[in-house]
Amino acid sequence: MAEISEKYNTKCPGVKRLMREAMELAEATEEYCARPLEDNLFEWHFTVQGPKGTDFEGGIYHGRILLPKEYPMHPPHIILLTPNGRFEVNKKICLSISGHHPETWQPSWSIRTALLALIAFMPTPAEGTIGSLDYSPAERKVLAKKSVSWVCSQCGEISALLSSTAAKPITDEEKSVLNQIAFKAEEEQTAKPPEEPAHEPEPQVLESSEPTNSFLDQLTEVLVALLVGAIGIFIYRRWNAHYPTSETEL
Amino acid sequence: MADDASSSSGCAGNIIDNSINQDELIMKQQREIEKEISETIPLVGELEALSSLEKEYNEDPVYLLKVKDLSSKYKYIRRTRPDGNCFFRAFSYAYLEHLLTDKSEFDKFYEIAKNSKEILVALGFSQFTVEDFYETFMEVVQRVGEQAGGSPESLDSVRAELHDKFNKQGYSDYIVVYLRLVTSGQLQTENDFYQNFIEGPRTVTEFCRQEVEPMYKESDHIHIIALSNALNVGVRVKYMDRGEGSQVIAHDFPEGSKPLVHLLYRPGHYDILYA
Repeated sequence: MAEISEKYNTKCPGVKRLMREAMELAEATEEYCARPLEDNLFEWHFTVQGPKGTDFEGGIYHGRILLPKEYPMHPPHIILLTPNGRFEVNKKICLSISGHHPETWQPSWSIRTALLALIAFMPTPAEGTIGSLDYSPAERKVLAKKSVSWVCSQCGEISALLSSTAAKPITDEEKSVLNQIAFKAEEEQTAKPPEEPAHEPEPQVLESSEPTNSFLDQLTEVLVALLVGAIGIFIYRRWNAHYPTSETEL
Repeated sequence: MADDASSSSGCAGNIIDNSINQDELIMKQQREIEKEISETIPLVGELEALSSLEKEYNEDPVYLLKVKDLSSKYKYIRRTRPDGNCFFRAFSYAYLEHLLTDKSEFDKFYEIAKNSKEILVALGFSQFTVEDFYETFMEVVQRVGEQAGGSPESLDSVRAELHDKFNKQGYSDYIVVYLRLVTSGQLQTENDFYQNFIEGPRTVTEFCRQEVEPMYKESDHIHIIALSNALNVGVRVKYMDRGEGSQVIAHDFPEGSKPLVHLLYRPGHYDILYA
């Protein structure tokens, strides 16, 4: 923490706030833990426990939290790293109130809110939302089992990161917030949003399904064109073949 | 024929692409507009003579008549950035500025402000995030308090400081967030009363979460009523729009109160007025 205070301007509200959150989340809990990278207060790594009584029970999932420099005015982005069958890995997802735009993020929410909401949102149906996966319960259970041995290149074995201490109980206010929050990935082929994380140490390998899609679209177009062309030529030849004969008949 | 087919399938492809990206495109465009606005208009501007409004409406007889009516009661205007937070920013700037010259009002306000955090925490808002905004808000309030009722010279310097803070995104937005929370707290505390103002099937809590607490969400009557009640501050809003007549209609919140803050409303935006 001391290093961080030297490196960042603690007068900057985002920095002050994140240092507070780091203190608030300093102790790992049974359900979740999160802490900033040693050299970057604006990137955190988190671990959450798969919610009990769901396909994710027994699973442990690890990921990154990217804080925009406008945090907490703008929402954090979450990137899951452990395969889980509910969210694509290595893809930025963002939380907002279900059915509303990301602008419904509230500055009074925190990283804890985001993690609790992520846990609560995992068992909800994917419904084709961008960044969501709709794996079968069996596949998710297999991934949950595998997840325990997943290792993060920065944090090590993720199964060692959670503790046996129960997290601070969820308040009524939080409960009502959590029920409303949804996670969604952003469209990626458009320009990057302005609120880029203040510092991103490594280039991200983001899964981009869009280029493949547009390639498929193009391929389909070409095939349709070829087919229509072929039919055209076929009709033309048939017509040509018949026309002279009918003329001779006359 | 082959050409026709391929070009029409191309169009279909575009239509599909468009529908996927429509939302994202609109948001991107919105972000660009926001960026442009933030680069050209300060969060809170300098004091301007009201005649600057006349210039704005040079070729607009309806508005010119109304500006004339307005200038019979007000001499200056201070513009705020139209970013959806303008009501909260205009209100807090104008009120704190007023408190500098009204020590007894300041003392009354200070008690209300000091107790406001407990109300929010009791409602279940996360203590440490509320505290974060509260502390920044109170830092500015206390600064005003130290100088309230002081000599004209000391007031000038603290006014400059206030202006500076309101144009620093860190301070300015934190004040806006805190007032949004106070507004939400008031709405939720007086739940039964405010439910009548909300159209559609939303509960007060849902309304707060969607329209009050998030930044950049524009303020309506209900926000003004709730905030002026929560802080017990009279606000007069002059409504200037294309409506009939040459008069600019005024509304006082809460009704019958003595207004200490005067705001000009033009559709979608609030600025500060000075007599």
